[in-house]
Amino acid sequence: MKSVRSIRDFSILIALVVSWVFFAVVSPNFLGARNLSMLTIEFSITAILALGMLLIILPGNIDLSVGSGLGLIGGVASVLVFKAGWPSPLAMLAGLLLGVIIWFLMGSIVAREKVPAFIITLGGLLVFKGLFWLVIQNSTVPVVKGGETNLYSMLTTYYLPPAAGYALAAFLVLVLAASRIASRKKRKAHGFQLEPAEKVFLKLFISAQMIFLFVIVTSRFRGVPLPAVILGMTAFVVYVITQHTPFGRYLYAIGGNEEAAVISGIPVEKVVIGSFCIMGAIVSITGFMQAAYAGASTTTTGNLMELDAIAACVIGGTSLKGGRGTVLGVLFGALLMASLLNGMTLLAVSPEIKFISRGLVLAIAVWMDVKLSRK
Amino acid sequence: MNTILRAEGITKHFGGIAALKGVSFELAEGEIHAICGENGAGKSTLIKVLSGVHPRGTYSGEIFLEGGKAAFSSIKDAERAGIAVIYQELALVGEMTVAENIFLGSEPVSGGLIDWDIVYRKAGELLAKFDIDIDPSDRIKDIGVGQQQLVEIVKALGKDSRILILDEPTAALTEEEVGILLDILRDLRAKGVSCIYISHKLDEVFSLADRVTVLRDGEAVASLPLEKTDRDQVIKFMVGREIKELFPRGETRKGDILLEVEGLTAAAAPGEKPVLRDISFRLRSGEVLGLGGLMGAGRTEALMHIFGAWGYRLSGKVRLFGEEVGLVTPGEMIDKGLVLVAEDRKRYGLFLDQSVGFNLSLSSLHGLSRGGFIDSEKEFEKNRDASGLLRIKAPDLETEVKSLSGGNQQKVVIGKSLMTGPRIIFLDEPTRGIDVGAKVEVYRLMNSLTASGHGVVMVSSEMPELIGMSDSVVMLSEGRVAGRFEGAEITQEKLLAAAIGH
Repeated sequence: MKSVRSIRDFSILIALVVSWVFFAVVSPNFLGARNLSMLTIEFSITAILALGMLLIILPGNIDLSVGSGLGLIGGVASVLVFKAGWPSPLAMLAGLLLGVIIWFLMGSIVAREKVPAFIITLGGLLVFKGLFWLVIQNSTVPVVKGGETNLYSMLTTYYLPPAAGYALAAFLVLVLAASRIASRKKRKAHGFQLEPAEKVFLKLFISAQMIFLFVIVTSRFRGVPLPAVILGMTAFVVYVITQHTPFGRYLYAIGGNEEAAVISGIPVEKVVIGSFCIMGAIVSITGFMQAAYAGASTTTTGNLMELDAIAACVIGGTSLKGGRGTVLGVLFGALLMASLLNGMTLLAVSPEIKFISRGLVLAIAVWMDVKLSRK
Repeated sequence: MNTILRAEGITKHFGGIAALKGVSFELAEGEIHAICGENGAGKSTLIKVLSGVHPRGTYSGEIFLEGGKAAFSSIKDAERAGIAVIYQELALVGEMTVAENIFLGSEPVSGGLIDWDIVYRKAGELLAKFDIDIDPSDRIKDIGVGQQQLVEIVKALGKDSRILILDEPTAALTEEEVGILLDILRDLRAKGVSCIYISHKLDEVFSLADRVTVLRDGEAVASLPLEKTDRDQVIKFMVGREIKELFPRGETRKGDILLEVEGLTAAAAPGEKPVLRDISFRLRSGEVLGLGGLMGAGRTEALMHIFGAWGYRLSGKVRLFGEEVGLVTPGEMIDKGLVLVAEDRKRYGLFLDQSVGFNLSLSSLHGLSRGGFIDSEKEFEKNRDASGLLRIKAPDLETEVKSLSGGNQQKVVIGKSLMTGPRIIFLDEPTRGIDVGAKVEVYRLMNSLTASGHGVVMVSSEMPELIGMSDSVVMLSEGRVAGRFEGAEITQEKLLAAAIGH
């Protein structure tokens, strides 16, 4: 089991390095501060959505509707701001509420009526797409009125000033180090197996370097993009949910063995519905970010983003059968997917080839998942 | 008589556990040879070796077929050599017809297409030959389980098998169907077909078989012609030890009534035929109540229904600690102080990919949480305590459950239930498929639970266990209470008579 996991970890890292080296060689702009800043924003959006997808997949479900759903929610907020003249916080709150309600309903149908999530969300994909186009009336609806900025547009245009970025990085590294040390102490006291201290230190050291390198590079453009902060918070929350709450344990348990979960007294329906509700909130947040990133809601907003999110999960070691998957894995998976898309856009790869590549990556990732889980 | 099949020194390991230890076995031509043994004695493993389910190379020892060495690398291989197995779990396709099933995998073909005329005609002939009254064009799912069993046998015979292996073929049959089956087997014996017959039911063994081999803990302890032995001797060989030392049940003080079930009638779903009919019983503190009966008598359903995990209540009452409870979810029942350890631990109990700790604390996470977050320190301590109390043998709490032995896995499932702090524990076949040492530990645990005022309801198919561990026994038959027994009334004869419904 350990070796399987390390093969998987290793292959993501190799794929990441290979793709980064390739793009850097073919297009020098790839590692430029401006592009890395954009990549950060794209990665953050993909990763946030994928973290929501993790919570759906862990208990053994799937959500195909998030792409068109996030288009719809972003569209509703855009229309409320641009056409109805609502203040942007209020519009986003309304969108968030709508997202949670819709996903609550879908989750209820999946959990209570036992309709497979695949079918419900496939239906959702089409229904939301249609509703989205109705809402924006097949046009392009900006997220702000004439040239101003509002909270909505700032989602992807605000950058932390360098000082704040460095402070945040330092804080993060300290917290990371403290939590590593604390958990190591605890594991030692519990008599669990410990990683060699050198390895722990090396990992911590590399993580710290990466965090500072990230701040240094993004500061050369405009600073740490707000989406990265939103991603950080989302990842923290999802990590805590999956690792430190009964709800999170139940997600793994249901995906691992639903019948045993029922007998163990787990409120399976409530947990599944809960995971869908969180997904609704995450879809709303990514919907706002995606629309803000493009500056407007248009008919193609959110297209195929469900597939990137699913691919990110699977590449990151999440089992589509449920019961297995981690936040860190999903982050790496999302980074790979976002890097591929960003790099191909930079190289002006034609949309045809982009579709084919995304499809192949998804298929290969699932194939590897099946192959590795069989061992 | 000629020996048709001979196995010599078969040894088979699963992980570190030996399921068969140098078993030798001989089957003569035209002989019905019974194999007896307790659950976990190695009967199924032996069959799987003989029939190619465990292919050559996964066991040691030799198999000879008509004097020549044989080693099957697959089930197909064994089938080609004329060995057919009829398993307990039916291998029929419900949506297909009887005839389609009989010829599944060996369809007569003409010009690349299946010749359906031949399929139905031959199936009809086969059924008629054995006086089985089933229409070959009926769908499998529309006929009874007993009839399905007969179809399975006909299917095996359709392959011109010379050796037929039957694994508990009568467990789900009615008396009449058992009669038909036994006649078929006698008829086959007369035609020279050899048969290995595995059954718990010694009556059948003695009325049918020519020879019996008894397995115990993976060893063949006896192989005798039936006319030279009797039931008591066979049972002694099977158990191999005094029942008293195996079942350490002592006297306990019985206290208040913890659970009272009155006139419980329930079905799988509204509008369906009731599976439980008018079931009543009481459980006192300090008591082990045995729930016995044949397969399909409704024992598991009764436990699952009271626990809230199965069925729809048509009538009846359940009183827990004097308070009436209606239909509840398992989670609510656990909160009230009643837990269930289900029969099939891999299916209903364990999260195999997860750690021992994950499994242990899963049902009691709410009590281990503060402000919605799991208190990992407290969780660890409770898990460690439970693991120590149950003597779970695992390197540490992070070990994956799937790497543990069956007995230790069962202890993990029991530990998960006990960590919820219950007063009533339902145990459904608590010792199925675990070794004798672990069994005794489970029995000791039941003793210490009842000594501290808990109540235990135990479903068991093993008569010695039911007799040895229960303070009182309720026998079910076809969903009804067929008898209640206490103390000295609990004897094998009385329980069996009630189970069969006499």
